[in-house]
Amino acid sequence: MENRIKEKEIKIIFLFVAALFAVFLLIPIARLFIKSFEFEGSIGLGNYIEVLTGRGFITAFGHSIAISSASAVVTTVLAFILTYTIHYSGIPKTYKLLIRRLAVLPMLLPTITYGFAIIYSFGKQGLITQILGRQLFDIYGFNGLLLGYVIYTLPVSFLLVSNTMEYVDKKFTVVSRIMGDNHIQTFIGTVLRPLLGTLAASFVQCFFLCFTDYGIPASVGGEYDVVATVLYNEMLGSIPNFNTGSTVAMFMLVPSVVTIALLHYLEKYNIRYNKISSIEIRKNTARDIILGAASGIILIAVISVFAVIFVVPLVYEWPYRIEFTLEHVKSVLTDRSLIGVYKNSIIVAVLTAFFGSLTTYGAALTTARSGISIKAKRLVENISLVTNTIPGMVIGIAYMLIFSGTPLQNTLAIIIICNIVHYFSTPYLMIKNSLSKMNASWETTAMLMGDTWLKTIVRVVTPNAMSTILEVFSYYFVNSMVTVSAVIFIAGARTMVITTKIKELQYYTKFNEIFVLSLLILLTNIIAKAVFGYLAVRKNKSKN
Amino acid sequence: MLEIKNLKKSYDGVTILHDINLKIEDGEIVSILGPSGCGKTTLLNLILGLTEADSGEIIFNGKDVAKCPMEERGFNIVFQDYALFPNLNVYKNITYGLKNKPNISTKQEVEDMIDLLGLREHLNKKIEQLSGGQKQRVALARTMVMKPKILLLDEPLSALDGVIKESIKEKIKQIAREFKLTTIIVTHDPEEALTLSDKVLIVNNGTISQFGKPQDIIQTPDNDFVKEFILNQLLIKKNNIFSLFAQGMSQRAEAV
Repeated sequence: MENRIKEKEIKIIFLFVAALFAVFLLIPIARLFIKSFEFEGSIGLGNYIEVLTGRGFITAFGHSIAISSASAVVTTVLAFILTYTIHYSGIPKTYKLLIRRLAVLPMLLPTITYGFAIIYSFGKQGLITQILGRQLFDIYGFNGLLLGYVIYTLPVSFLLVSNTMEYVDKKFTVVSRIMGDNHIQTFIGTVLRPLLGTLAASFVQCFFLCFTDYGIPASVGGEYDVVATVLYNEMLGSIPNFNTGSTVAMFMLVPSVVTIALLHYLEKYNIRYNKISSIEIRKNTARDIILGAASGIILIAVISVFAVIFVVPLVYEWPYRIEFTLEHVKSVLTDRSLIGVYKNSIIVAVLTAFFGSLTTYGAALTTARSGISIKAKRLVENISLVTNTIPGMVIGIAYMLIFSGTPLQNTLAIIIICNIVHYFSTPYLMIKNSLSKMNASWETTAMLMGDTWLKTIVRVVTPNAMSTILEVFSYYFVNSMVTVSAVIFIAGARTMVITTKIKELQYYTKFNEIFVLSLLILLTNIIAKAVFGYLAVRKNKSKN
Repeated sequence: MLEIKNLKKSYDGVTILHDINLKIEDGEIVSILGPSGCGKTTLLNLILGLTEADSGEIIFNGKDVAKCPMEERGFNIVFQDYALFPNLNVYKNITYGLKNKPNISTKQEVEDMIDLLGLREHLNKKIEQLSGGQKQRVALARTMVMKPKILLLDEPLSALDGVIKESIKEKIKQIAREFKLTTIIVTHDPEEALTLSDKVLIVNNGTISQFGKPQDIIQTPDNDFVKEFILNQLLIKKNNIFSLFAQGMSQRAEAV
């Protein structure tokens, strides 16, 4: 409905959001686009021809598609088993909670760490190799990548599938059984069919994440080149070529755009139930044991890969002197440069979380709770869509091209802005969702009570949105702590964050330091999650 | 007195309301009655000032307020879903507007309103601890504290069940009487409209079908719509209830 409420403030917020993304998304990406056509002083398709005909790009592209598809399938199947165990088996509640917690644990670590953890677990002298007495598989290349990608995408897939499964009306299982369906028919009709859209979405989302990640191939890629490694070498390798690099970046955008388009298309296949009813799960010990064991094995596999980061830095010299020591931890904690890097990471994460929450909250207010024009709302929606499409590496490279030589170069500010832009989409949707669920008449009512729009936002809307805002804060914080793909291109010597430092330490094979720093990230994230989770729950309680 | 002259409203070229002319005396309770989509909520929003009319006048106490922004008209509304603020308790909801206009009601007036609506024992409760009827009364109190010149109620009874409905009806009548407050109520239920208000405005297809006292509407319906949609519904209800009681009577007679 047309609204007569005047909202000067919301227009200012909208202009701020629009300007932010014009300067820090539109212009850099446009610059990158143009750069990809600059060839030997003129504009043309030269780079594209060069990229497509030389240096194994086609092979790498094929590798990327193959490994990303394989990982996406495996991840989605594993995530389905985990969620099915939670929602359809009678295993104890505490075990279900444990599955929920452990399945999302990898989110709290940077992907680059997974790679090193795999090396130290399954490598020739890895922890698991030592325990089993032989190496299970060659870790460099396809196998290592697959393992890394699966661990990386499992949390995302798990959250996606679990979220839908929660909202599948369980009563249909009863109806199906009463109608005489056998077990398989019931399973297909009332579990698999309603989840089809989500499972496909999970595949697409995982594919996208694998295709665009740099951290895992950086550590275990070996000779198996993927697009991300080609892109990195073009930009920061021994013979950098920004023009062909830009072209490779454009190629990386293609699957991204396709996957997001697919995700939107798949939304149609999601079945919406009017009412969610839960039913008592039938007693079936055999089923519980099988599902419980399957989930247990999946999670132990994930955890075992990480076990190594707790072991290696706490012994003298892996694998030759396996005696407990805090020496490595101490040496990291007394190394001024490493502590400086940790400080940088914390500053970046806190400021990203703060300004990111503000930006997404402002953007969500314009679309969910204002009478601003449809065009303006659509623009904000499109910003969210585009940020969801653009891989971190592409943003990082675009920033490197456009902000080199400006005062923003080598500042923490550029990293913070990059993170805010890169991770905009999910938190924006989270807040928008929560805001649009709130009573539509609040602003009118409050205005009749003499409030200005801004006053209503402060007195009513914000207090009611607080638990979601805290979730967004935590989302931005954790992601800033673990992100590597974008910042690797824009972090300078003085603005190193932990993840880029890890990449640097790789050159000097200082794995003790790498694992200690990874542990620091993990601990920081666990604490942050716990604190924000506690605050959000308290907010929710005080509201109820 | 509120007088509406030739009011017209359309959205994207589709006319929602046209030729609306009516006069409402001070202190009257008027129900706007009609099927869904007839334009009754739009009329309410036009009077409130939430939407702007295409043409026509809304004259309140001799002044045309049609171009006046909502917050300057001094009318107030209780929405169907109450729009209570869940982050504030009952008392803070009731006194919400006093933070902006501290002198609009005295402390005593607020206390009297709390007692009138029977909310004293609920003041420290959270909104979601309240029943539907209690929420309705809190929303009424919050609005009344602002001393509205006209009170608008959007479907005030539709979310309530039987007995509560009757008691809220009484409260609305009591408030209108005690404060000599012009009250305009939107409803789709003929029984509600005809038993609650001094006058009923029946709206159909975007215009006034009949405007009059409940007795007049029952006795001399102006047209087929009023006869078939409004009266027929009441008649069916009446017959159902009569037959229920008749059965009860005969059974009792048999038992004797």
